[in-house]
Amino acid sequence: MAPKKNAAQPAPSAAATSQSSTTAAGSVPAPAGAAPVSTPVSAPAAKSAPANWDKVLQNIYSYYMNETPQRTKLIDVFLVFIAVVGALQFLYCILAGNYPFNAFLSGFGATVGQFVLTISLRIQTAAANKSDFPEVSPERAFADYVVCSLILHFFCVNFIN
Amino acid sequence: MWSLLSVAAALFAAAASAVSTGGSRLLVVLDDVAEKDTYGQFLGDLTARGFDVSYETPRSEGLTLFHLGERKYDHLLFLPSKVKGLGPNLTPNRLVDFVNTQGNILLALSSTVPTSTSLVSLLSELDISLPIERTGTVVDHFNYDTVSAAESHDVLVLDAPSNIRPGLKSYFEVPGGVLAFPHAVGHVLGSGALLTPVVRAPATAYTYNPKEQAEVLDADDLFAAGQQLALVSVVQARNSARVTVLGSAEMLQDKWLDAKVTKVGGKSVKADNKEFARRVAGWTFQEIGVVRVNSIEHKLQETEELNPEIYRIKNDVSYAISLSEYSWDKWVPFTLPEDDVLQLEFSMLSPFHRLNLALTGTTEDAAVYGISFTLPDQHGIFNFKVNYKRPYLTYVEEKNTVSVRHFAHDEWPRSFVISGAWPWISGIGATVSGFVGFCAIWMYSKPVGKSAGKKN
Repeated sequence: MAPKKNAAQPAPSAAATSQSSTTAAGSVPAPAGAAPVSTPVSAPAAKSAPANWDKVLQNIYSYYMNETPQRTKLIDVFLVFIAVVGALQFLYCILAGNYPFNAFLSGFGATVGQFVLTISLRIQTAAANKSDFPEVSPERAFADYVVCSLILHFFCVNFIN
Repeated sequence: MWSLLSVAAALFAAAASAVSTGGSRLLVVLDDVAEKDTYGQFLGDLTARGFDVSYETPRSEGLTLFHLGERKYDHLLFLPSKVKGLGPNLTPNRLVDFVNTQGNILLALSSTVPTSTSLVSLLSELDISLPIERTGTVVDHFNYDTVSAAESHDVLVLDAPSNIRPGLKSYFEVPGGVLAFPHAVGHVLGSGALLTPVVRAPATAYTYNPKEQAEVLDADDLFAAGQQLALVSVVQARNSARVTVLGSAEMLQDKWLDAKVTKVGGKSVKADNKEFARRVAGWTFQEIGVVRVNSIEHKLQETEELNPEIYRIKNDVSYAISLSEYSWDKWVPFTLPEDDVLQLEFSMLSPFHRLNLALTGTTEDAAVYGISFTLPDQHGIFNFKVNYKRPYLTYVEEKNTVSVRHFAHDEWPRSFVISGAWPWISGIGATVSGFVGFCAIWMYSKPVGKSAGKKN
């Protein structure tokens, strides 16, 4: 039941965010009221846009904070961390050259691989996708993730020599 | 192997007597054996140097150059003979075979005797041409001997030759001397790379046939003139066998070896024919200008193993070749002519390196030339090749084949040795430790996460 609930809820909020750019409506769950207000006002829309964006981002943030399970948040933090590490390595490669090229490949490849694996874990464990993976329990997904990650690390450490 | 053999041969030769590296059996072919007395001093000198001289006339029955397929003589000396052809035993073919089996030939010609057709054919094989009528005398109205040829001008007096080509050994140079060339036959050299002129006629010399062109020499009938005419030329075949053409046989005769000659407007001086004849014969019969390779050593620097069969790319190797040169009766260290270098090629099909070898050491009888260098970044089958071929010197062509392999997988520098790789190493470290931390938090916080997810 929970996944269905989660899946159903984002739909109205998405509608709200798309419309709220033209309206001054602040509250998220007001899809009905938003439509009539937006139509007559076109000139003030530009004025109120920055404030709207604030609201939008705040909405997204608060929705994310409220609706996302804690372990999914953990995954997201880890994803951001990996993306930063990968970006730094790539930046270093551009600035300082790729001299031990195998080192660059394995260092950067480790982050890319880890990122992909973590995304997979997120997809498999997100409550919203429960129906897509009826046979994969979160525990099973995590075990797969750990095994695949260890293989990846083994490969990368070998390759960096 | 070759050097071992040559060392053995040299030891044997030294034990026998001081003699040429080519062997001691010398056959002198002349018109009449009694004629040898006119060359007594020259031939006596050869005998004294250890040659085992036999005399034959072209007509003699027992004359043969080969016995059971082996050379019977090591060297041939042709003195002028009146026979038109030299007979079935000295056909041009046989003579070429003789050269091909490393026999040496010294041809002495004279304008007073027509050259045998056999020798003319041999010379044309070597790209040397003689005047058409096989007789022709070189005259020079500015450089003749005023004592013996005041009228006929056919005894040339020349300054002793300096090397026509620079950068050669000075075997034929007699500093400050003069040479007398009585009744010389001039010859013209073709474009063959193995031909080297030793003495050329002066610019004012020309050749003519005294019998037919005594009165007037038509320009169309002129065979050659000036520097075109060579008086002494040498050929060294690809097997290092030597053929020398001496335009004037009479300069070997006793009366000309030490003759007093007077240049036009000059003083009476002693001709240096004796010294020159000695050098011409010595060079032709392989007593000088013979280079021997004693040993070749190549190795990885800072190791002891000699001549390994395999190297790795970018290895630092050193190469050394030991060379000796035979000088009349002993081996001496080989020294390069001025302005010449000994080069080493490190080649696979084409040379990847062509390096000048430097003299690194000298012993009593050998000079060592060597160099250290880094192998190219290319794996394959390579040769250390020394290809030193110069006129007057026997050819040195030494090839040592080695394999050059690429890096083995454990020969690369480890990443942690290369400071440039440290950011990526720490990147992997960050990823792995991040993963470990993530797993720990994941497992620790799982129930909380679930309940939190359910609550929300």
